[in-house]
Parts: sequence; C-alpha cells; structure tokens
Amino acid sequence: MSNLLALTGREWKAVWYSPIAYVVGASFLLLQGWVFWLLVVVLNDPRVDPTWRMSQFFFGGTFFYWLSCLMLAPLLTMRTFSEEKRTGTIEVLLSAPVSDWQVAASKFLGAWLSYCALWGTTLVFFLILRLHTALDWGPVVSGYVGTWLLGAVLVSVGTLSSSLTRNQVIAAVVGFVLMLLLFSVGFLDAFVADQEARRTVEYLSLLDHFRDFARGVIDTRPVVFYLSVTAAALFLTIRTIAHPRWRAS
Amino acid sequence: MSLAIEVRELTKRYETVTALDRISFEVKPGEIMGFLGPNGAGKTTTLRVLTGLLSPTSGSVRIDGLDVEAQSLEIRRRIGYLPENVSLYPELRVQEYLAYRARIKGVPRAQRRSRLDEALQRCALGDVRRRLIGRLSKGYRQRVGLADCLIGHPSILILDEPTVGLDPHQIRQTRELIRSLGQTTTILLSTHILPEVEMICQRVAIIDRGVIVAVDTPENLRKRLTGSQVVHVELRGAEGVIEQALAQLKSIQGLQTDARVPLEEVFIRLTTKEE
Repeated sequence: MSNLLALTGREWKAVWYSPIAYVVGASFLLLQGWVFWLLVVVLNDPRVDPTWRMSQFFFGGTFFYWLSCLMLAPLLTMRTFSEEKRTGTIEVLLSAPVSDWQVAASKFLGAWLSYCALWGTTLVFFLILRLHTALDWGPVVSGYVGTWLLGAVLVSVGTLSSSLTRNQVIAAVVGFVLMLLLFSVGFLDAFVADQEARRTVEYLSLLDHFRDFARGVIDTRPVVFYLSVTAAALFLTIRTIAHPRWRAS
Repeated sequence: MSLAIEVRELTKRYETVTALDRISFEVKPGEIMGFLGPNGAGKTTTLRVLTGLLSPTSGSVRIDGLDVEAQSLEIRRRIGYLPENVSLYPELRVQEYLAYRARIKGVPRAQRRSRLDEALQRCALGDVRRRLIGRLSKGYRQRVGLADCLIGHPSILILDEPTVGLDPHQIRQTRELIRSLGQTTTILLSTHILPEVEMICQRVAIIDRGVIVAVDTPENLRKRLTGSQVVHVELRGAEGVIEQALAQLKSIQGLQTDARVPLEEVFIRLTTKEE
C-alpha cells in the first residue's frame, strides 16, 4: 500500500511537473468555459424549453464534452509507460521491489486523478451559476460521477496503449482510436436487427449512459460496465509489463 | 553459508541469437567479483537476468539462496542495481529522487532521512542535493544512480559498467567508492576495462560470446597466460639513480622499464584542485 502511494505520488508529480499538463489543462478550461457560456446564453433564451437544465447539456449533451474526454485521456496517459521505456527509467523502476500491479495501478491512478482534478475545476462554473439562479445539485453530482467513471475507462485504455510502445505519439494515437471505437460501438444499435444483440449494443452505448447520469440517475449497469472495462484494461497492462520480451526491450 | 549469487547452466536465447550459453559461476558473500568481457559478450544480459528484468530460457539463478524467478520481489529487496546507462527522472531534484527511491525500496519512514544523508555523503552528492537531475553532468548522474543503489542497504550490489563515460577523476572516485563498499557488501561488477578488474576485484569471470571462458583471481589468470608473475613497480626519482638500482636486479627475467609517467596520472595531477 505504501508502495502504491509512493508510486502514485510520483506519477501525479510527473504529470504536473511537465508543461504538457498546463497546456492541456489551460486549453481544456478555455474550451469548457466557452461551452458553459454558450449553454448559459442558449438556456436563457425565452424560446427554449424552461425544463431544460444546464447539467444535462454540460455532461455528455454536447459534442464538446465527448471531444474533451477523448482528447484529455490520451494526452494524460501517453507518457506513462512510453516515456519510461524510451529513456530507460523503466529498468530502474522494475528492478526496485515493486510488483507489476502496483506499477500499472499507479500509472493509471496518477493519470486518472489528474483527469478528475481537471474536470473538478469546472465545478467553479456551477458555483458561479448558483450565485445567479437556483440549482439542482443532484444531476451535477451524478454528472461528475459519470464523467469520472468514464474517465477511468478512457485512462485505463490509454495506459494500456502506452505500455505497448516506447513512442508517445503512437501511444496517443492508438489510445485515441481504441477509445473512439469504444465510444462509437453504441451507434450501431439502430442497425442491429436481432433483439438480444441490440440490447447488448445499447448496454454498451456511452451516449445513452450519459443521458442518465446528466439527469441525476446513477444506474448500476453502466457503473459495473465502466469498472469492468477499467479492470480489464489494467489487467492487460499488468500482463504486458510482466511479459518477458517486453522487459527485454 | 549460502552463496550470494549462484548461476547454474544459465541460457538465454532470443529468437535467432543465443545470448548466453549454459553459463555457470558463483559469487561468495562479501566478495567483489568482476564480470569481464568485450562489448556484446552477454554481460548486461546476465545482469538483467540476475535482477529479474529478463527471464532465463533455461538454467537456474539463485541470489541469497532465493530463486530469481519465483522470489523476484524478495530478491529485488536485497539488491542494488546500477544499469549501464543510468536513467533518472530529469525533472526531480537529487534528494527528492532519492527520497522517493528509499520509499519504494521499503526504507522505514524513521530511517529515510538518515539513509538519504548517508547515501548523499558516501557518493559525495552533498552540494548538488537540491539540483535538478536533468541539469547534472554525467558523472554526477552516475553517482546519483549509485546513491540510489545504496539507499536500501542491499546485501548485493550489481553494477553494470559503473565507470563508463566518466573522466579519470570520477573513475578514480567511483573505484574507491566501490572498494570501500566492498568491505560490507557483495559486489558483482561488469566491465570491459582490464585494469579496473585488477584494481578492484578479488575474482573475475571472463565471458565471451555468451560463454564463460575463465573464472579465477586476477593473479592466477595472469599466471595462466604468462607462466609467471608480472609485477608493476612505479618508481620516482632521478632517472640515473633508478637505472643504477635496476641494473643490480639483473636476475629478474624480462625486466622492462618505461620512463614515461602514465598519462592518466598526469591528467589527474594537473586537474586536481588543491584542497
């Protein structure tokens, strides 16, 4: 446990000691601020349905949301393993008495916590909104929970792809494509004729999950789905580290 | 007493190449063992197997009586490994890095501070402890790597070419450090520099193209080749006097004199600051 904390602390620092995090973070906040402002303008329009809420658009309701998540995760995870493999520090790390799962988990946690922290800063927008209008906090909370859970899936996939290569750009590209595939599987539901298969595809649809999260519903099915995908990606990452040929390179 | 390192019939094959072919050797506790061989002979591969970074194709490797594959974590707790090209996190400060390494090596919290100070002092890193690793020279980085090896108080040190790429001062300092560490620790050190082995090691294993060709003390190895012992003597004084004195030693076979001062010596004299 102490090892995991030390390793995770190191990963967290590695993110925030690098200028990449600040460029990514600033761009992310600029984009989110812009989206929020747009939504405030739209929702203030008298022609708009008055039952519409900020949270149902801010979380998963716009194309900006998905773009941000799908960009943030590869950018935060691409260096995790690739950089250490390229510079050779991975050899120093793995010759220390740390287990493979601790290494994989700490890489994941460092990046995931950074992802959560970046999203966490957008809470300021809601606080500002609260100053001017009544706000139902339920959907906001479930929106963040959904976002962080989704983040766990994306970050674990990104970590896995980083463990496969010593090149950060390749890690980011492969990670991004895998995440995009995962995101778009749900689009197929309209084209699947078989009832059972269609239900399965719907179950995998990230967009559908977010319709729930953003309305204040935390359904256990997507939660279990997200946690299982995360666990599977981390398991594969551990296997990749343990592979002897991987260690040889 | 169990052997510190015991390698039996170790073979490492890659798809097309056999990097190590049934090599065997052992290192006794407290010994400084040299692992000598030309570049590409299989030194680094062997050391990587010893540290658990590579798994062997066949054969057994035991460290402190523990199996390198089955008890890798416990072994890693007992060894300090200095890889060939010391790679460190450039964005960390020296003491920050060493404190982190002490933590993942399981140094108890109460001892971390004193261990850190001890490692910094032994490796003469006191004045750079707050510097960023990325800004340090190669010699300093090497010493940070060594300090990292020491901080967990390992019973065995595995050093891969510890003096490569250093200037003669640093080489001398590093060798002295290794020799002093050898008084309390078992050391296996790889090198392709012959004099280094003579200066530091009690025994040598020579490896060539994946095969161990000899294991013995440096003197015995030399004897085996020349059939007699060679003694190097460094004399200082007026040339005439020395020649006269040497002339009386005609009974010694193959006496050779070389009036030159070794270049390394000159370099070190000229560049050593008066303290």
